[in-house]
This record gives sequence, structure tokens and C-alpha cells, in this order.
Amino acid sequence: MYRVMIIDDERALRSLLKKTIDWEELSLEVVGEAASGIEAINIIDEIRPDIVFVDIRMPFMDGIEFSKLAIQRYPKLKIIVLTAFDDFTYARECIGIGVADYLLKPIVRTDIQQSLKKILAQLEQEKGQDKNEDTEDGKDLRMKSIKEYIEGHFDDPELNLKSVADNFGFNSSYFSRKFKEEIGRSFIDYLTSYRMEKACRYASRGELMYITAKLVGIPDPNYFGKCFKKYYDVSYSDFMKGERSAKKTTVSD
Amino acid sequence: MKKMAKIKTWFISKKLKQKIRYLFAFIIVAYFLIFALIYEFVIKDSLQENISKSNYNTLISIGNGLTGEFQNIGTMGRLIMSSQEVIDYLKSDQGADSVSAYNAVTSIYYTATSFDNISSIYVFKDNGEYIKISNGITTVYKGVMEDPDWYGPVEKKSGANLVMVDGNGAFSQASGESVLSFVRVFNDIQTQKPIGKLVINCSLNMLRDTWREMAGDGKKFAYFHKKDQLLCGDAEFEEMELNVADSGDNPRNMRSGAGSFTYYYAIPGTPLAVAEHEQIRYTEYISTQILVIAMLIVLVTAASFFTISWFINRFITRPVESLVGSMEEVKSGWLKRVSMKLPDDEIGRLKNSYNDMLVEINSLIEELLEKEKTMQKAELEALQEQIKPHFLYNTLDTIAYLALENPREEVYDSIETLGNFYRKFLSKGSREISLRDEVEIVRDYLKLQKLRYEDIFEDEYDIQESLLDMKIPKLILQPLVENSLYHGIRPKGEKCLIRISAYEKDDEILIKVYDTGIGMAQSRIDAFMKGDSKSYGLRKTIERIRCYYGREDVYEIRSQEGYYCEVTIKIPSGGEAETYVQSHDHR
Repeated sequence: MYRVMIIDDERALRSLLKKTIDWEELSLEVVGEAASGIEAINIIDEIRPDIVFVDIRMPFMDGIEFSKLAIQRYPKLKIIVLTAFDDFTYARECIGIGVADYLLKPIVRTDIQQSLKKILAQLEQEKGQDKNEDTEDGKDLRMKSIKEYIEGHFDDPELNLKSVADNFGFNSSYFSRKFKEEIGRSFIDYLTSYRMEKACRYASRGELMYITAKLVGIPDPNYFGKCFKKYYDVSYSDFMKGERSAKKTTVSD
Repeated sequence: MKKMAKIKTWFISKKLKQKIRYLFAFIIVAYFLIFALIYEFVIKDSLQENISKSNYNTLISIGNGLTGEFQNIGTMGRLIMSSQEVIDYLKSDQGADSVSAYNAVTSIYYTATSFDNISSIYVFKDNGEYIKISNGITTVYKGVMEDPDWYGPVEKKSGANLVMVDGNGAFSQASGESVLSFVRVFNDIQTQKPIGKLVINCSLNMLRDTWREMAGDGKKFAYFHKKDQLLCGDAEFEEMELNVADSGDNPRNMRSGAGSFTYYYAIPGTPLAVAEHEQIRYTEYISTQILVIAMLIVLVTAASFFTISWFINRFITRPVESLVGSMEEVKSGWLKRVSMKLPDDEIGRLKNSYNDMLVEINSLIEELLEKEKTMQKAELEALQEQIKPHFLYNTLDTIAYLALENPREEVYDSIETLGNFYRKFLSKGSREISLRDEVEIVRDYLKLQKLRYEDIFEDEYDIQESLLDMKIPKLILQPLVENSLYHGIRPKGEKCLIRISAYEKDDEILIKVYDTGIGMAQSRIDAFMKGDSKSYGLRKTIERIRCYYGREDVYEIRSQEGYYCEVTIKIPSGGEAETYVQSHDHR
């Protein structure tokens, strides 16, 4: 079973794609989705997809930027661009980056199926070539410097498990496992909670959500909002309101 | 008057070249007419006078010649009367065949030989006897001479000649031609007493001799006796009814006309009158000098006409024609400047002003074209860039999902909205649209976007009722709303408000798109106003509005970064677009 991730800013499209393709028949599984390139970069290490569907026109980080970064970090990743823009410049750019296929909206099932079959054949072929890559490094993580690195780069939207692992010369799955062993939390949990704590400070300073989002390295305010709510169990705006009234009460006290 | 007006309109309608030709033709005709009039009334008169004068002189000189002849005859008479032989014969009782008669005849004969044109000479005694010499056969009717009516007047003359034709019937020539008889009483030279009568008959050749040298050249002469009895001359004089009642001493012009003149002159001291008839061709009388001068004047005039005509043709008509030709090319399309060489006169200046005008017009046209091009380009871009098929494709996917997931009602509603949106959006390709329809487009657009992006905004509308039917350029509102959605609301990640309002204020209609998105920093607004900004769609829309209304001040942006943005479109009340744009629309 190969793993599929869908990145599109429209929930309807993501749902449609999940629903309309018979994934099992192709021995595929949709394991995750993201509403923006930013969100995708953050969660891609957890989802570990083999195939990614990505839209081009998305805010904060468009499909092309994402593809560039993703292919650079995950060279084996198969990216299918799915866009409503029948635009030659886009298509050329995508092919130049090394995108696996370029499909047009509105979606046509047979086109997607054909494309997937072709990509599956490629994946099968590549599978045999690099089997021994999954070997463990056996090195210990110098957690202090890794934490420092994360604290120094948390506002970089492109920061993720893979980029940190690469930076310190680790295999990403080894790094992931080791990180969890050491800290007791997954890398993404750690990074997000660090960012949310920072965000909390900005919120209490009265920063608008989209600005805070940018400042903490999640420039997609929608994803940021989602993370914030998940972390604090309260929306950013409500949190700010609470902060303000709390301040007022402290002032009046 | 009507005819004059007709001629005037006809003349005015002609081309300049033709006008000049007609004018010249008219002048030449007038010229000849005047010449003819001068000839008829001035030259001809003076010619006639001249002819008359010369003819009077001729007649007078003929008269003088005749008087001379008459004097000769008188002299001859006196010579005969002073001849002793003749006197002796008259005084003798001897008959005509006597010696004295013979001597007398001889003496007469000698005298007569020194005179011309003597037909016969008779010397009568009172008793009726006579002697004679005769050239040819002459008969005497003595009976006639015994009539006191005949001899009475002779005796009354007491020695002077009485001139008669054929001696008033006393003589006749065998040849039948008349003779001119000079009859006088024969006085004795000593006693001065009448002793007989002397008759000298002259042949009419004597008369003819007097005009012989003058005749010819269409001139004919005749002699009349007692004013109206034709003596000798051409037969045509017989037919003439000469009114000679008043016969002065001067020659008179009896009749003139059709180049023929008749003059009459009663010669003083004689019972005769001389008449002259002359057939004249006036041209013969116009001197070559005058003719040469006249011809010269005609030639000079004609030459002047040709020169003026050439000049007008060369310097006015032709340049004007080629100028007109060049100007007419303008009709066929591009305004080409006249590049031909023209002298630096009024016409040259006309060309220059015309060219200047063309340059001006061309630049105006170019300006208009440029404006129109910008407008069309902007419109095309609006269509291609802004609502773009991708919107349709994306929306179709959204609706496809709804169809799989949701109740049918919602699917139907979405498809209806999509259809309505595209029908209004395309609006049959017209350039203008009512505000009502534009707002409808925005409403449908936002409805469809809500389907796609879920609950990220609320939309509100506040449109002044009276403005709903106002025409505005198509798709000026939708791009603003799209701009709000993508650059204001979505980046904020929170639920926002879009409010669209339109109302009239101070002769302007204000259409506002207000959103509570992330807004714009002042620096971004400034950059947008200067033209360097990524808000491509918004700027193109502003450009289109500017072009359409032909004014610069059409928008305003107010914003607080992070809180709101408000774009206001300001259009003139009444919405009058530039005329050229409107006329364009009616194609």
C-alpha cells in the first residue's frame, strides 16, 4: 500500500478526490490532507506520503514552491499537480522541478487513475533499487544543540523534521524515532507547542492572528488557527479576548 | 432676373478652371462685339464721310472739266463769229453753194479741227439758209427752228450759248446718238447786230471724256439734262428715281446703303448734272495700318489671355487641384500629409496649414486609438485574467463534491447560481451593464466562493435604490471583491465581512467595497497609486474606469493595516462616459 496525501485549499476538492477515486482498487491509501503548502510542510513527516496531489494556486506557499521544497527534501516523492490553470508556463515550471504529472481541473477520474497507475509502476521499479537506505545511524542525538537549532529557526516556515534531520546529518525516520525517545513527544508536537507558546505571548501583546502566525513560522493563519485551538482548546480571537479582559481585571484590581 | 440667377448658379457650380475659360470666352466675345460696334458706328461713318468727300471732289472736278469744255465751245463760237469769211457769207445774199459759202465753210472747218468731239457746226442765215460742216450724217429740221418757242429763248440769251439736246428736236444724227447743241445768236463783230445763228453740235463723247479718267474701280458716271433726263451713262441710272427738286450748287449724296453710294451734282452754269454711282467694300477702305494695329491688339489680347490663363493654371488651378486630390485621399482612410512641392505663396501656406492640421488630427486620432486600445486591452485582460475558466473549473469540482455528499436542493441551487453568474458575467459581450446586474454578479460570485472556501466571510449590500438601473462599465465591482477576498480576507484566517455599498454624494456616485481583511499598509497604497504593485487586476480595473469616464480621479483607497480596507470608485453623476466610447458601443 502506497500512501497518498492531498494538498488543496478547498475542502470540497479534497473530499471529492477522496470519494471519487477507488483507492483500494489501486492499492493506495489516502493518509492525510492539508489546506496549504505551509500545513503540508509541517505534517508531511508524520504522514510520510509516497504520492502527493497538490494545487498550484494556494495562499502563503503555492504549489510550485511547495513542490520545489518537497522534491528537494524527499527526492523519491511523486508529486501530481492538480490545477484549474491550463497554463503553459506553469506546466513547464512544474516539469522543470521534477513533478510526476500535471493534471487539470475539473477532475476526470480516468485521467487520475491512469496517472496513478503510471506512477505506481515507477514506485514499484524504484522500490527494488534502494532497500538498504533505511539503515540506522546509531549516533546519539545531541539534544541540546537540536533544541537550540529549533529555537533559532522556529519562525522559518520551511522548518520541519526532515530539514532538521538533514541539518544534523540524520536519517529522518531514525531522527524521528530517537527524538520521540529523548523528548517523549513527536518532533511536530514539540515544534508546534514551542510555536504556540510563542504565539501565546504575541496574543497577549494583542497581535492580530495573521501577524502572529507569520511571526511564529506558520504564515497560514488558517492552519495556525487550527494548531492554536488544538493546543489551547480555545480560538485565537477568544484567547485574545480573554487575555484582554484578564488584563482589564488585573488593571482594575 | 430668374435667368440671371440661373446663369449665376450655373457659373458658380463650375470648376475654377472652367470658370476662367468661360470668363475668357466671354471677354473675347465682348471684345469683338465692341470692335464691331466701333467699326459700325465710328469707323464706318468716318469712312462714309471720306468716301463722300472724295466723290464730291471727283464730281466737282468733273463739273469743272465740263465747264472748261463749255468754255472751249464758247471760244470756238467766238472764233467762228470772228471769221471774216463767215461774216461775209452771212452778209451776202449768196446761197449755200456760193463761193462765199464755200469760204465760210472752209474757215469753220479750220477752226473746228482744233477742237475734239465736234459732231457738226451749222451757221444759219436769218432767212433759213445755212452752211454746215458735219462729222457723219446730221439732219436738220428747219421747221422746228422757225417756232418762236425754239428761237425765242435763243434770242433772249443775246449772244450767249443756249445748250440743248439735239437742238430740241432740230437735229438728229444718223447714228441715233444724241448730240449736245450749243445754239447762239450770231452777232456781227462790228455792229453787234444779229446776222444769223450759230449751232455747234457736240458728240456726247465730250461728256464721257470728262469722267474717263475717274471711272473704273466700281465707279460709274452719268449725265443728266435738265436734272432728270439721262443723257449718257449706264443703264442702271435710268432706273434711278432721283429726287432732284432741290438742286444746290454742291454735290449731294442721293442714296447710300449696302455698300453702294449715289452722288449727284448739278453743274453750275450748265443745264447738266453729273451723277456717280459707287459700289464700295468697306474693307478696301480700311487702311492696312489700321488693320495691322487692330490685328496687333487682337494678338496682344489673345496672348495676354493665354499668359494669364497659363499663369492661373500653373500657379492656382493646378496646385489647388493636386492639393484637392491629396486631400481627397483623406477620405479613403489614413490622413496622409501633402508632400508635393508648392511655391511659397498663399497656396503653399494653405498646404502648410492643411498639413499642420493633419498632424494635429493624426495625433488626436492616435491619442484616441491609443486610448481605445488601452481600453480594449484592459477589457480583454479583465475577461481573461479575472474570471477565467479556472473559476468555473474549480466551482464545478466543488459542485461535483456537493452532488456526491449533500441533498439535491443544494446542488441545484449551486448550479443555478453558477449559470446565472456566467450569463450575467458574459452579458452578451456588451461593454456596459446596470449596477443591479453588476451587484448580482458579485452576489453570485461570493455565493460560489463561499461554497469553495466555506465560512470565511459574510457579505452585505447597501445599494441606493435609485442607482440600480444606472449603467456602469461591466465588471468594475467583481475584481474589487475578488481582490478583497484573496488579498484581504483569506490571508487573515478569520471570519471577515465584505460590504458593498453605492450611493450618490455631491454630483458623484460612490461605489464602495469594504472588507475587514488584513488591509493595506500606507506604503502599499502609495506603491499601488504609483503603479508598481502586484495588484494587477485591481489596477487594470482602475485603468478601465479611467478610460471609460475620461478622468483621472476615479478611486480612493482607505485602510488600516490588519483591520479593514475600503476601495471607493468615484464616477460622475449621470454616468456620462466620453462620447467616443458611447458611439463606439452602438456599432
